Amino acid sequence: MSILEVKELKAYYSTEKYGHIYRVRAVDGVSFQVHKNEIYGIAGESGCGKSTLLKAVSGLIKPPLEILEGEVAYNFDDKILDILALKEDKQRRQVRGVRISHIPQGSMSVLNPVRRIKKSFEDIVDAHQKIKDRTCFDKMVKTHLEALGLDWSVMHAFPHQLSGGMRQRITIALATILKPDIIFADEPTTALDVIVQRGVVQLIKQIKKEQQNTLIMVTHDLAIHANLCDRLAIMYAGKIVEEADVDIIFNQPKHPYTLMLLKSLPTIGDKSIRASAPGAPPSLIHVPSGCRFHPRCPEATERCRKETPELIQVGEGHRVACFLEEGSK
Amino acid sequence: MVFKKYIIPRFIQYITVLFIGITLVFIIPRLLPSDPVEHQLNRMTAQGQYLDPAAVEEMRETLQELYGLKGGLFQQYINYWKRLFIGNLGPSFTQFPTPVVELIKISLPWTLGLLLVSLMLSWVIGTMLGGIKVSFPNSILAKIMEVLAMGMRPIPYYIMALVLLIIFAFIFPVFPMAGGYSMGAKVGFNLRFILDLFRHAFLPIMSMVVLEIGGWFLQMRNVASNVVEEDYVVYAEASGLPKLKIIFRYIMRNAIIPQITGLALNLGFIFGGALITEIVFSYPGIGTLLYSAILAGDYNLILGINIFSIVGVSTAMLIIDLIYPLLDPRVRYQ
Repeated sequence: MSILEVKELKAYYSTEKYGHIYRVRAVDGVSFQVHKNEIYGIAGESGCGKSTLLKAVSGLIKPPLEILEGEVAYNFDDKILDILALKEDKQRRQVRGVRISHIPQGSMSVLNPVRRIKKSFEDIVDAHQKIKDRTCFDKMVKTHLEALGLDWSVMHAFPHQLSGGMRQRITIALATILKPDIIFADEPTTALDVIVQRGVVQLIKQIKKEQQNTLIMVTHDLAIHANLCDRLAIMYAGKIVEEADVDIIFNQPKHPYTLMLLKSLPTIGDKSIRASAPGAPPSLIHVPSGCRFHPRCPEATERCRKETPELIQVGEGHRVACFLEEGSK
Repeated sequence: MVFKKYIIPRFIQYITVLFIGITLVFIIPRLLPSDPVEHQLNRMTAQGQYLDPAAVEEMRETLQELYGLKGGLFQQYINYWKRLFIGNLGPSFTQFPTPVVELIKISLPWTLGLLLVSLMLSWVIGTMLGGIKVSFPNSILAKIMEVLAMGMRPIPYYIMALVLLIIFAFIFPVFPMAGGYSMGAKVGFNLRFILDLFRHAFLPIMSMVVLEIGGWFLQMRNVASNVVEEDYVVYAEASGLPKLKIIFRYIMRNAIIPQITGLALNLGFIFGGALITEIVFSYPGIGTLLYSAILAGDYNLILGINIFSIVGVSTAMLIIDLIYPLLDPRVRYQ
């Protein structure tokens, strides 16, 4: 059963300069489904629209970001909720933090510098289930922190007194205190060293196991994806180019871009120079015609320059957007 | 611990600033080529009176004593501090026997009343409006406020003051033209006098408030519009906190910190008076006092006002330094 279904989502950043409107096509026709209780990974280079996709899907839309078309349907307790169709801001606020929650990118600065950690917890709990009983609230936070291996004493600290890894773990605790149905993790391990990264990944795994929630993990770090995710989508220039179970992506990738990504990964003991994709990711203002990967693709044909490939099913739960696959099918 | 690490260094700094400032006030006039004692004596002899040379000499001694110019430079300096500690700033030259402290005491309440009220009013209103503007950037009210603030701010103050004066005191005589209170009014703590005071202070205060709101508004808007982009505000949005809480506890709370620094600095400058306001509205105050002292070359009075100003500014800085850790915890543990 899917808890989230995204259909043909288009989210652009629009800016006007000298009377000309520029559109950054950060998310351009993305469709995918996330099943209940799974960890769904989204991978891609910097600037391919991963973070924008998350913003759009969680309804955090602020100019210059605009949703042009598409549908984002959540399924909470068998009730379908289209977050983009909600007219009132208040209704969206009621969903955020309880049903959907965020582990944001750059957790270094997500905690209010002038508020004690405890206040941040109070704010979020009070926003959704009015705190009536202090001791009850303390107990709730305490059990949650203990489960995550955090000490109660951090509650009285200010954010600047804590280390980066500590802050990140507190943010994770904050994001999961109300046991959300679905968690969006936006590069939760970026800017942390590998030891802290490992701690964070284990923490996320543990929470997921205990609270039985669904997790959408966005990062460019394929190692994290390989460790954590059940299914993985590869994004390139605002589109999903391949989506499959993690094993299949890593063992039998179909799309030339996925192939190149995997070829660039280092292996222990292998000292040969890794191959990389030639060129640079395209500008999202002037996207290439046809298949967006064609200028960098070694197997590009005339057709790739003119037509845009659709995501097609090539195996059990394996979708690829490439004409090569269409031909071989 | 906090006392030792935070308060004491700041107190030492405060004392040092005061010491240097007051010493400078001592040195600068003594670098001037003119000698006030000779000046005074010349004025007397110029009146054509015959003066006995011995009497002149005696008078010179007395004047030097009065003006603190007796003895060598070092001796003068020691005496200067001694007199300061007992609150004696010497006599005014122009209003001869009246001590400078007495003159300042008369003018200071007027200036303080005028500037404190206008500063607090403009600060509170400007800061609130700036925060609101950033929190609701697309509302029509916010846009109107911005245009108003941008348009008002460059207006020179004296033009604003004159325009208000002409409109509300001359064309529509709602408020009095000049003065701190009505001619012949009995000074006292009663309702009638207070209302009279208020009526006289209204236009000078308005003229300052109207212009200063724009400045505080723009400054708050600039800081707050950066705060809105901060991760913690975005995250608060993503966690579904109520809008009002985000505005007050997240956006305003962080953006107000530099505003408070600005407020404290301006509080210190109050002791310099508001010269133009006082002149345009003929309002009694430190500004006018200083102005006439400069015109008449009344050194003692100028120095006295300067000392008040130095003490005012540095005390304001000390206070802001001491309360800053309460506002921004990041300062606390450094």
